Amino acid sequence: MRKLSAISAAMLASALVLSGCATSNDTGSTATDTGSSSTNSDSSSSSTTAAESSVLESVLAAGAVRCGTRDALPGFAVLQDSGEHVGFDSDFCRAIAAAVFGDADAVEMVDLETADRFTALQSGAVDVLVRNTTWTATRDGAEAATFLHPNFYDGQGMMVASNSGFDSISDMNGAIVCVAKGTTTEGNAALESSRLGLGWEVRSFDETDLILEAFIAGQCDGWSSDVSQLTGFRSAYPDGPNALKILPEVFSKEPLAPAVLDGDTQWAQIVNWAVLATIQAEEFGITSANVDSIRSSTEDVGILRFLGAEVPGSDGSAVLDPGLGLPTDFAYQIVKQVGNYGEIFERHLTPLGLERGVNALWTDGGLMYAPPYR
Amino acid sequence: MKKWLRENLFRSYLDGVVTLVSAALAIWILTQLWNFVFVTGRWEIIQVNLKLLLVGRFPEESMWLVGLSMISLAFFIGLAAGSLRSTGLKSRKVTEIAIDVTRRFGLLLLLAAAIIYLAGTLDALLAGLQVFAALAVGRLLGGLKTTITWLKPIPKALWLALWALLPIASIGFTLSVASLEEWGGFLINFYIAIVSIVLCFPLGILLALGRRSSFPVVRLLSTTYIELIRGAPLFVLLLLAGVALEFFIPPEIAPDVIFRSVTVFTLFTGAYLAEIIRGGLQSIPKGQTEAGKALGLSTVKIIYLITLPQALRNVIPAQIGQFISLFKDTTLAGAALSVFEVLNIGKAITKQDDFLGQGMIYESLAFVALLFWVGSFVMSRESQRLEKKLGVGVR
Repeated sequence: MRKLSAISAAMLASALVLSGCATSNDTGSTATDTGSSSTNSDSSSSSTTAAESSVLESVLAAGAVRCGTRDALPGFAVLQDSGEHVGFDSDFCRAIAAAVFGDADAVEMVDLETADRFTALQSGAVDVLVRNTTWTATRDGAEAATFLHPNFYDGQGMMVASNSGFDSISDMNGAIVCVAKGTTTEGNAALESSRLGLGWEVRSFDETDLILEAFIAGQCDGWSSDVSQLTGFRSAYPDGPNALKILPEVFSKEPLAPAVLDGDTQWAQIVNWAVLATIQAEEFGITSANVDSIRSSTEDVGILRFLGAEVPGSDGSAVLDPGLGLPTDFAYQIVKQVGNYGEIFERHLTPLGLERGVNALWTDGGLMYAPPYR
Repeated sequence: MKKWLRENLFRSYLDGVVTLVSAALAIWILTQLWNFVFVTGRWEIIQVNLKLLLVGRFPEESMWLVGLSMISLAFFIGLAAGSLRSTGLKSRKVTEIAIDVTRRFGLLLLLAAAIIYLAGTLDALLAGLQVFAALAVGRLLGGLKTTITWLKPIPKALWLALWALLPIASIGFTLSVASLEEWGGFLINFYIAIVSIVLCFPLGILLALGRRSSFPVVRLLSTTYIELIRGAPLFVLLLLAGVALEFFIPPEIAPDVIFRSVTVFTLFTGAYLAEIIRGGLQSIPKGQTEAGKALGLSTVKIIYLITLPQALRNVIPAQIGQFISLFKDTTLAGAALSVFEVLNIGKAITKQDDFLGQGMIYESLAFVALLFWVGSFVMSRESQRLEKKLGVGVR
């Protein structure tokens, strides 16, 4: 009899737990029911024109931009102890949110593994990918991604110990080159080795910290990665940054660009202009600090248009609406809440020891060039 | 002393050599460990990110809810442990109790102390004390059930079920304040494991019975299910749940990653558990079933009264092994589904500006391993106690 009661106790307990789950499910499902019924009605009205179901609409309905990012890339996106993502890429996620909602915090950071990032984009788990992703033809084509204006032009380089005697990549005959696993870095290094006939032994590691250990232990002659990454690790090297040097050659092009899913031009243009606005703002010399005073005092028509202020014209004053589907003051919100390109760069990448280089404005001989805002 | 040494460690020359070599090895490992923990290890990475590692992005202002649900859970566990004792409260010496508690939960207490020390705040200390107080009060109250006469007639099932409402309500309330997406860290590993264990247990029993059923359809279905799920690697199933599901169900409706991982863990462990329980059922002599039939018991009654209780008791070690494995496998959900769980966070925090490129991955992995190790160890020890109490392998 005792056994029976013990078993029934166990069953009742589990039934209770189950019902507890069920009730919490219920509340959850009612919430999603209301959500899905509204989306259902949306989708039923637009189901005939599925291709036209707009990402912007779903983003506005959700109240936040879901931004595919990562949590452990120094300078670009790092998880802080407060649980927030801080970095160069994270700020561009915020810039997109500022453009769409006028609120840079209306963003949901979704950490993605390197292997899942395009799947997440294709399945609609994220609205935009700002995840240190290189723009390549295959990704543009086969991965159904549309790449937009690069926010950072990177390239793969090689870091060696200062006392190693290597001054150029071509000195490194038969060297052991250590790289991180699962990136294009691995293939690039092998390709470069065979192109120059250097016979490198390419060793892959799961964790950059493990590369560091191997490097300190002298198991690697060279450490190859994107120059932005190498600079970061050089600045944090235990023996000081001068113990390492980055060789001058850059042997791959890595334009890191935000990407959206193919098929929604409006959304692609929105993301594109969010990036371009930061560049244009820097060109105008508008920063988050002076944007308010410039907006109220300037008489430059170009700047007034850009900031969504009223522009005096022959037939009364008007605000320029370029018809991107964004609020007319989106550029103002981006600059005010996130900053211009130079500010974002200085905030996150300059501390790593990175120079502007090719990422300077076109007026300074770099590649950052925004089409005119008019 | 000398005799003992001679008999156990230096019986022959070979024994002596083996003893000396292993002693040297043990001392070397211990000094290395000591060095790492107390000298070279830089634990500020854990200290700074402690909240992130333990509860993830849980909103600061609702942290008391985590405390509340922990306290009520501890209270319930204590109560259940107390009321399931058949003997009731024994009058034992305080020293005996202290030794017993230290032996059973010493590691857990040490870990809690270490975490409170790292957190370095009064709140953490208070929270820790409250949890242990709740455990103790629950244990005492549970003990009263078996001693106070007017409580005795209440069926244990009802008694436990009533008290189970407390943690369920507090967890439900926590869920209503902070949505599941905001949960993270070790908390989410813990909850994924607990919920999956609770859910997969009935599933495993049903599948085991189904596979032994005399109805061909039920048997075929159960067998197919078990073999299909057991045939695929857990990681693949998790990846499938994360990747493939989104193509079939619109993302607005698709449940979040935590629901997905709980589902996969439940289905997966259920299949393994089914085979373990079937093994237990197999070990019950057929004569017992026949005896039950001869007494005129129905099949259901034979299963619930005779075979299943014995079968479950016989396979406790294997079951707990499966649960421990499930507990540790929750980290796979982080790798496959990007759940914001403790291992993911442990890897990510080494890239923070203050810790970048300093090889802090060792400290952070060591801490993550410690959390799991202590959890698994306590589970394993408690299951051994349970075995002893139920007399597995004795009768």
